[in-house]
Amino acid sequence: MQKFAPSLLAVGLAAALVGCQENGPQDDKITINKNPYPSTYQPVATSSTLITNATVLTGTGERLDDADVLLVDGKVQQVGKDLTATADITIDAQGKWVTPGIIDVHSHLGAYPSPSVESHQDGNEMTSPNTAEVWVEHSIWPQDPGFNRAREGGITSLQILPGSANLFGGRGVTLKNVPAHTMQGMKFPDAPYGLKMACGENPKRVYGRQGVLPSTRMGNMAGYRMAWAEAAEYKRAWDKYDADYEAGLNPEAPVRDIKHDTLRGVLEGEVRIHNHCYKAEEMAMMIDLSKEFNYDAGTFHHGVEAYKIADLLAENGSCAALWPDWWGFKMEAYDMVQENVAIVDAVKNSCAVVHSDSDTTIQRLNQEAGKVMYRANENGFDISEQHAIKWITANAAKSLGIDDKTGSLEAGKQGDVVIWNQSPFSVYAKAEQVFVDGAKVYDRNDSAYQATSDFMLGQQ
Amino acid sequence: MKNLSRSFSLSLVAAGLLASGAVSAQSLAIINATLHTSSDQGVLEAASIVMTDGKITAINPTEVKADKVIDAKGQIVTPGFIASINQLGLVEVSAVAGSRDAGEEKAGIDFDVSLAYNAHSSLIPYARKGGVTRDVITPHGGDSIFSGLASVVDLSGSFDSNMQKQAALIVYLGERSKGSRAFTLQTLINKLDEHKTKAGKKAKKDDDKPSTEDKVMAKVLSGEMPLVVGVSRAADIIELIKVKEQFGINLVLNGAQDAVVVKERVAKANIPVIISAMDSLPASFDSLHASLDNAGVLEKAGVKVLLTVGGDASHNIYQLRFDAGNAVSYGMSQEGALKAVTSNVADVFGINAGSLEVGKAADVVMWSNDPFELSSHVNKMFINGVEVSTQSRQDKLRDRYMTDSKMPRAYTK
Repeated sequence: MQKFAPSLLAVGLAAALVGCQENGPQDDKITINKNPYPSTYQPVATSSTLITNATVLTGTGERLDDADVLLVDGKVQQVGKDLTATADITIDAQGKWVTPGIIDVHSHLGAYPSPSVESHQDGNEMTSPNTAEVWVEHSIWPQDPGFNRAREGGITSLQILPGSANLFGGRGVTLKNVPAHTMQGMKFPDAPYGLKMACGENPKRVYGRQGVLPSTRMGNMAGYRMAWAEAAEYKRAWDKYDADYEAGLNPEAPVRDIKHDTLRGVLEGEVRIHNHCYKAEEMAMMIDLSKEFNYDAGTFHHGVEAYKIADLLAENGSCAALWPDWWGFKMEAYDMVQENVAIVDAVKNSCAVVHSDSDTTIQRLNQEAGKVMYRANENGFDISEQHAIKWITANAAKSLGIDDKTGSLEAGKQGDVVIWNQSPFSVYAKAEQVFVDGAKVYDRNDSAYQATSDFMLGQQ
Repeated sequence: MKNLSRSFSLSLVAAGLLASGAVSAQSLAIINATLHTSSDQGVLEAASIVMTDGKITAINPTEVKADKVIDAKGQIVTPGFIASINQLGLVEVSAVAGSRDAGEEKAGIDFDVSLAYNAHSSLIPYARKGGVTRDVITPHGGDSIFSGLASVVDLSGSFDSNMQKQAALIVYLGERSKGSRAFTLQTLINKLDEHKTKAGKKAKKDDDKPSTEDKVMAKVLSGEMPLVVGVSRAADIIELIKVKEQFGINLVLNGAQDAVVVKERVAKANIPVIISAMDSLPASFDSLHASLDNAGVLEKAGVKVLLTVGGDASHNIYQLRFDAGNAVSYGMSQEGALKAVTSNVADVFGINAGSLEVGKAADVVMWSNDPFELSSHVNKMFINGVEVSTQSRQDKLRDRYMTDSKMPRAYTK
């Protein structure tokens, strides 16, 4: 509530001063369509499916041996031992493992697709340090063969983010990893939008070279602060307009600004921050920045130094989306430790996520999580499979704001499920069957369920 | 933290060995091991291996005689893995220009990148975590198709590391951002032709002394030095096979995502192929057939496969064993994958290591379990018969931030 108090005060004051000029018949109210490119995704026609006798990692921290999973009407209906239900299709998963569909919170598939030819470089509008007005969904090529490869690795949902050159890179979008020939056909219904931000080396390098702010880390901070200050003004103007209109006046609507729509969305808690930010001291400042302008700091991506501030991240309720071991490509990625995810995860109220930011490692996020689990367990941790799976399922869903819909095998959740040939934390693990909303979208042993991109069709 | 203290004591042992300097006279045996020899001997159960003077001096002798004996208790022992096509010791941080020495705009045939090798790079101990004991460091980049000369280094991290210079000539062909690929291949053919002609002429008294380029190209033309060509497209590979036939060179394909399309021809021409097992996307029109299946497909076709880590290889060399595991998962044989990271690399680059055989360098790794599995780790590791540590800067950082202290972290060392 504290957040809205000052602007309400301002609105009241403004209305009192200018109210008389805005009397008279009201024009139509100007409203902003918050969903102009709506999802057209429809689950593939589905039967009910009963998966039996599997080792089930629920994503809620539980492991059930010899357990069954029942999918009905696209949803998880029941998980447990010896389910008596019958279904259209029964899959004997003896010796196999079942997990929620894997979620990658950081991908550029479709925006930086394969083949990575010049004409396909649509992932980062690098022409200005603040491009909060761009929406990466407008760059997505749904025929990127990478979507199919990712699905073969168990990825059922993923967030596509713009690149990290800018302080504000634009909106991200969450997709269901289903084959479609339009972006809207993949768009995850009712998933919140993300806003990509970036700390550190990239913005100051890219724009410093162009002779514009930022060329330093303090320039980065100044850039964020100026943008948030403007966004707060923009929000206040719209709040005033809405309040005046509600009060029966006929106010003039503020000039629409697409960039500030997105930033305002963050200030109103509708758009979630996804912040490319490697270093401990920068993440700490970004948390203070979020408090200065009263928004949620969101998820820190890449956070190679997150282990240095694990307490602070948990205290602030921030998710940290991390690699197990990428390092050394930039100064800000020099202090990698292989137990980073585990150290962040070990704090109460933490939200550790394993992400890819890669069209190749997205194909085996299970192995990426496995590397963390085993290295950590060699060094004093005691992390189980049923816990580690959360890093690529439930915690990822929480980061994206879709944890009420997917990310765990609980009754009522979307039927996003992977059947693995063995423990997903083995280097030899393979996703055998993948379900999205209860519909089989991949089967390793049945070419009828192996999607091919238009681009690959007929190539020799 | 029990495991941690054990690791530290290991590194103390290693430090002691390194410091003593007297190890060369000592012999060391590992007994009761499951030896994956990467040689014709295959896997030997409950076997022993003896190392003396930096070399393997016995495999499974009837009687083990050694100054020091380690009981492996059935654990797997493999040759140390050999990585290739990366810039280990030639780069510290990729985006820091001053720490980056693998490429040179004006580089050519005679560019010897090993002059820049830094045995104290922090990447080296980290790479050892993956059981990697030797590496083919390669130049990368430059305006010419010739990036320069590769060298083989051991991963002891010592200024006295064993270095085998001029192990291969590195060339990049295929797609170009400007101009035609025909021109680049023509450049290679012309260069081979020029030196073949030169070699055919009788030396005259007033001839200049042969240049480094002359010497390198003579070795390439005699087949003594492998010519490692970065190329992907099947049509380009076919042209290169013709070049090999014309000049009798020792051709090695690097990258080669589409080699599967012409696998029979590649196998018949006896051309080894260096690939990343994880290449699975059509990054360009040259590599439409990149697939996780490729390592196994090439192996089955009879091609000698070498696995290398793709992407930012230098910092991720330790992943080589996981790449090999994935290759197995997608159809390569377990033995073939082991050879692809050991003896096949040794064969191609002329390295006297990469298998557990008498006379080979004593690069030996003892594993907690299946070396390709995510869950396993190095238990003991020897390079040239000397035990080395797998502790790295990363472990120091982890311990600093996991150790409680009333003082700021900076005081925890």
